Amino acid sequence: MIDTLIIDGLSFALPLFIMAIGGIYSERSGITNLALEGLQGFGAFFGALWAVTISYYFDIPIQKLYYLALLLSMVGGMLFSMIHALLCIKFKANQVISGVVINILSMALTTFLTTQINIVAFGELSDKFQIGTSVRFTIPGLSKLPVLGAAFKNLYPFEIVILFIALIAAYVLNKTGFGLRLRACGDNPHSVDAAGVDVYKVQFKAVLISGALSGLAGICYTYSILTHFSPSIYMGYGYLSIAALIFGNWKILPTLGACLIFGFARSGGYVLGQILKMPSTFSDLIMTLPYVLTLLLLIFFSKSNRPPRALGEIYDKGKR
Amino acid sequence: MREKSVGKRKENVLAKFFLKSIGNERWQHITIPIFLIFLSFFAASIIILALGKNPLGAFYNLLQGVGILPKPSYAAYKSMLTDFLSLLNYMTPMVFASLAVSIALKGGLFNIGVSGQMLLAGFIASITVGYSSLSRIVAKPLVLAIGIIAGGILGGLIGFLKYKFNINEVVSSIMFNYIIQYVLSFFIHSYYIDPVSRQSKYIADTARLTLVNVEMFGLKMDISIGFVIAIILAIALKVFFHKSRLGFEIKAVGANPKGAKYAGINVGRTMILTMVLSGVFSGLAGVTYYLGYFASIQPKVLPSVGFDAIAVALLGNTNPYGIIGASFIISIIDRGSTYMSSMAGVRKEIASVITGMILLFTACTAYIQHKIRDNKDKLSYMARKEAEE
Repeated sequence: MIDTLIIDGLSFALPLFIMAIGGIYSERSGITNLALEGLQGFGAFFGALWAVTISYYFDIPIQKLYYLALLLSMVGGMLFSMIHALLCIKFKANQVISGVVINILSMALTTFLTTQINIVAFGELSDKFQIGTSVRFTIPGLSKLPVLGAAFKNLYPFEIVILFIALIAAYVLNKTGFGLRLRACGDNPHSVDAAGVDVYKVQFKAVLISGALSGLAGICYTYSILTHFSPSIYMGYGYLSIAALIFGNWKILPTLGACLIFGFARSGGYVLGQILKMPSTFSDLIMTLPYVLTLLLLIFFSKSNRPPRALGEIYDKGKR
Repeated sequence: MREKSVGKRKENVLAKFFLKSIGNERWQHITIPIFLIFLSFFAASIIILALGKNPLGAFYNLLQGVGILPKPSYAAYKSMLTDFLSLLNYMTPMVFASLAVSIALKGGLFNIGVSGQMLLAGFIASITVGYSSLSRIVAKPLVLAIGIIAGGILGGLIGFLKYKFNINEVVSSIMFNYIIQYVLSFFIHSYYIDPVSRQSKYIADTARLTLVNVEMFGLKMDISIGFVIAIILAIALKVFFHKSRLGFEIKAVGANPKGAKYAGINVGRTMILTMVLSGVFSGLAGVTYYLGYFASIQPKVLPSVGFDAIAVALLGNTNPYGIIGASFIISIIDRGSTYMSSMAGVRKEIASVITGMILLFTACTAYIQHKIRDNKDKLSYMARKEAEE
């Protein structure tokens, strides 16, 4: 029981975490990013589409395309996040509105394209891309540890990829010059401009990074929870990750904590349902656990939060 | 050299024509949205063309489907008029929902929880009045009242959380959306499910806000009571924002919360009241949707109207009259797409793609206005220079 709780909790929390890191990048640079939900969906769509197409036309077993799909979904998320970057930075649109617009557009576009491509390219009437489940592996020695050993059992390969990328992301954000400039853009863009750095460029990069990381998160959910790509990927995980990063005060390590809480709340709910032998209708109530928890945590922690000072403000060079 | 200047002049003529047609600032709030809609349809035509279908034919079918253009044949008791009336019936919740979004936007808040508020109001009204045997005259106003109260309370709660605990209203309303969706799905599955349709049981006709199958002129039509109320309330809202004190305060807080505070406006109270008012309209959208257009609730599904309403509110420039016009257009796209897909063979999902694109372009309105002003200045400068030469 405790094993499933940890295994499922981790495989849910880590994609959420990488998406939240993307959000942190964007928001620390001063661009509000509610588009994470749409970006993860589009990234997953893009990765799944290419995986299915390549395996269909080149006759390669789809399991072998796992890492390619991960990479392509990052590309897809990045491509779609360009719209957000353009709208917010070049066209000076309201960032909240732009984010929501992208979510709606992404949902409409991927639903339409999935059915359409299925008909045209594969000749079937379906709104899904079957990409199969991911292989899982167990780290030999460590998994024998009592209780905590479960964290090393039945791992998805993407969990390692995510941890690796998260480490790099944390290093870049906190220890490099680029990270420093990025954080400064979110707090005081004019000073960054005075130091001779192009604020727009830094923000543009930050939004693209958030797109890539969200796309990765999206394909991870397709591989783990859904086992196919379909519009049911829009479950609100993007918004959940935004809640996580707000709860984590726009810092990477506390955000990891928040994501783990969400993950364990979710898997804990399922385990609880099994222990108490509840009828399946109760699963709906269990599904609300992460959301209720988010609200409660936000009530307690939002007050002391300190968002980036220039978050959501449209940066105008001429303004002083 | 000469050729080049001719080419340039031609370009100028085009630019002049473009600026003439949408450049007048007095009319920009109408001309720009219309331009954007054309742009979206143009983009959609490209997609439809790429699929090897005829876009003009598809758009013609779109209008046929909603009773604006005549269909080649009609079923018994049906005509263009019945199609058009059902369009109005479909449009009613959208008008309410978009007004809800626009109220929040005016107050500087973003109510993305309209769907959840709709679902809650619709559910409570269904189980209290919808399944009762109250008479027509009592039931219908009671449904409206319940919608208003349920929506208002939930909206107010979101505003309160924002004011008291500094919780971003976007995040909290999305959390409420999911909580409501799942909790109500649990209740519907446990107590109110219709085993055949897999939806909640149908409500009594006496409680419905749409008069269904009214026989008149040899036709059977659906007449929406809610539509009349929506129009009246849209006008009332226009007056409210122009003439009343609270309306002014909401706008002031939306424009500049700090300035409003120094002017002696109670910002927290105004914020909560904005959300209450927005919730009230969401609630009305919910009851006209679940107890008007439909007569039952599909479990675990949030009404997409609540999200489309964001598009409509932006397209209508958060102006009540603009919203009525924008709802009309978006409803045509949504509602006509079924007929279009059956006639032209274009997938129904293209409708939401068109809506999405309209929305995307609308987000750039400020930039377009800016560009127009820029180009206008440039043109007038050039004209002056030419005159000097």
